[in-house]
Amino acid sequence: MDSPVKHVVIVGGGTAGWLAAGVIAGRHQGRIKSGGFTVTLVESPNVPIIGVGEGTWPTLRSTLEKMGVSETALFRECDAAFKQGAKFAKWTTGAEDDFYYHPLMLPQGFTQLNLAPHWLQMGEGLSFGDAVCPQGQICEDGLAPKTITTPEYQSVANYAYHLDAGKFAPFLQRHCVEKLGVRHVLADVKSVDLEENGDIASLTTEQAGVIEGDLFVDCTGFRALLLGQTLGVGFKDCGDVLFCDAALAVQVPYETPDAPICSQTNSTAQEAGWIWDIGLQGRRGLGYVYSTRHSSDDEAADVLKRYIGAGHEQLSFRKIPIRSGHRELFWKNNCVAVGLAAGFLEPLEASAIVLIELSAKLIAEQMPANREVMDIVAARFNEVTHYRWGRIIDFLKLHYILTKRTDHKFWTDNVDPDTIPDRLKNLLKLWKYQSPWFFDEFDRLEEVFPAASYQYVLYGMGFRTEVDPSDNAAMAMKARQFIKENLDMARQLRTKLPKNRDLLQKIHQYGMQPI
Amino acid sequence: MSNIVLLNSEEHKTLKIRTEYSAELGDGQRFVPVVLNEFQFLVAHYPLLFSKDAGTGAFYCGAVLGFDEGENLFLGENDVWRPLNLRRMPFYIAGDEVAIDLAHPRVGERGEAIFTEAGEPSQFLAATVGALREVRQGGETMQEFIATLLRLNLIEPLDVTLAFDDGKRQLQGLYTINRDVLAALEDAEVLDLFRRGYLQHIHFMIASLRQIANLANRKNHLLLRQSEGLAQR
Repeated sequence: MDSPVKHVVIVGGGTAGWLAAGVIAGRHQGRIKSGGFTVTLVESPNVPIIGVGEGTWPTLRSTLEKMGVSETALFRECDAAFKQGAKFAKWTTGAEDDFYYHPLMLPQGFTQLNLAPHWLQMGEGLSFGDAVCPQGQICEDGLAPKTITTPEYQSVANYAYHLDAGKFAPFLQRHCVEKLGVRHVLADVKSVDLEENGDIASLTTEQAGVIEGDLFVDCTGFRALLLGQTLGVGFKDCGDVLFCDAALAVQVPYETPDAPICSQTNSTAQEAGWIWDIGLQGRRGLGYVYSTRHSSDDEAADVLKRYIGAGHEQLSFRKIPIRSGHRELFWKNNCVAVGLAAGFLEPLEASAIVLIELSAKLIAEQMPANREVMDIVAARFNEVTHYRWGRIIDFLKLHYILTKRTDHKFWTDNVDPDTIPDRLKNLLKLWKYQSPWFFDEFDRLEEVFPAASYQYVLYGMGFRTEVDPSDNAAMAMKARQFIKENLDMARQLRTKLPKNRDLLQKIHQYGMQPI
Repeated sequence: MSNIVLLNSEEHKTLKIRTEYSAELGDGQRFVPVVLNEFQFLVAHYPLLFSKDAGTGAFYCGAVLGFDEGENLFLGENDVWRPLNLRRMPFYIAGDEVAIDLAHPRVGERGEAIFTEAGEPSQFLAATVGALREVRQGGETMQEFIATLLRLNLIEPLDVTLAFDDGKRQLQGLYTINRDVLAALEDAEVLDLFRRGYLQHIHFMIASLRQIANLANRKNHLLLRQSEGLAQR
């Protein structure tokens, strides 16, 4: 009866496939080295990789560190740059001076005290972001989140990466194959062979014969070859909540080789969506994410050209369809989907790669010992992953429903209550009287967006929670102290941190120290 | 402002160099880069620790002479080993030739002669040029030593907070040998460290940690003398 899980087969060699391979193989090095466990990645030599996004979350630092990747090598080989959060411009009123930051650092003293009601009571003046966190000002100054003496993966201000997805997957591949003992098979899958109980027994390939496995990880992208096409798991569309269904992407060179590199993702609202603007070392990556119900492709191209300004004539635009939604199940029988095969949402808040990491980590940590207990793990995985997709959808929608813009139908349609999930509607009702913090519902281990993220977006977009000064009184001194500490820290960091491009150049030249 | 020129036995024949351990003569430094060859002398006085170059992030090794900016707690003690990097001043190496900073406060009419009456290099100059060469060659050896320690994960941050009579000081940005990692090294690696002469230097660095407390004592004595001086006034 006992059928141990010893051979993991990952199908698909994009960012999802290689990250999953690295996380699983990294976690199970002991067993791989003793010969009792294998991780095999099967990749078609003919299917091109869709580079999923260029924005990541700070989780990627610990994910890569655990895999044993050198951070210096990441910067040198993936055109990577620092990301300290996102700057949302023109989302609330559309005015030129309308912007707020969703930084990556928690509000000062967050684990001890909720500063939001105290800031609300202070009245106008300092923005919420600047009152509780130094990172918005650091970004406005174009500064890096650390110095050349800060060790690899450590930070002065919390950070993630912007990177070239087309370089990231091959970079991970080299590490997985050379350092972690992942077997790499270049072959086209001809058929997926099932057992009587519906499990996947093996893959039959054109070039490498039959490949057997105990657990199959579907990283085949949108087509979901294993979980969708073979095991028949359906797709749950959420286009009724998130309207954007296309992106027009373009790579823009810097005007001069020493032009400043933004250390945040710029997300600027437009007529029928928003434009991402990401600074890598060698170029910028831009894209207009829009709703085809609210804008024609030609109109979208005009919006993007206007944003780029002079020089757009030489650039080539690439249209990417977006089908927002996810699989109804993520793990069925002995097959689990990661990456685009599991689902995709518009890239606002860069949730694609972080979801790959979280899923891969859950698989690696909960690796079922045998087939008999796999369904128990699968049920958990489905429950947690379903929750995560739901919370991400809510959080993305939050950015749209707090708008006061009425200039285009895209924005007025977005605030239609019929398009807002009930759970989010209830939370907004609740948050009129209490601000999100601990004891809220975002208390899961590895919550994708913690209560702090909701605070930054809510109060960044002018949402007001009613406060009772007498309720604040007991902690008022402490709150003032935290805000002062934050302002002191901001002042200090603004003199101490180097310019973003300067540090990236130093990393190229000298590398970062491991400690 | 410095004024560095190539050393010339005719133009610089009568110049003399002062050799005291003195702040006025440029020794007011709290952390001085050192080389492996002088570890055996340095360990008797100074903590030997690693720090990072602010411009490149690269590790280098130095002797701790004091706690505050510009503080050298060994000034005036001429029987203490002055690190080669102080000892070589005001001389530099330019290619294969020796250069001198004529604007350096050590240069003048007092002290050791650079050249003999006959215009030959003096013994003092020969010794100083020797120090200069050791500093240059020692820099490369030190880089290899540090690279080896980093590869073996033998460097760790040092976390020390010292209480002085005038308040607390935290030693920041300094690193030492990780003794737990050292104790767990594979036999082959230990042998390799020994054969390359690194093992003794590792132990010199560990032994030198004791000098942190001695240095703190010097500081407290200094503070005490200062406050007594104030009281007498």
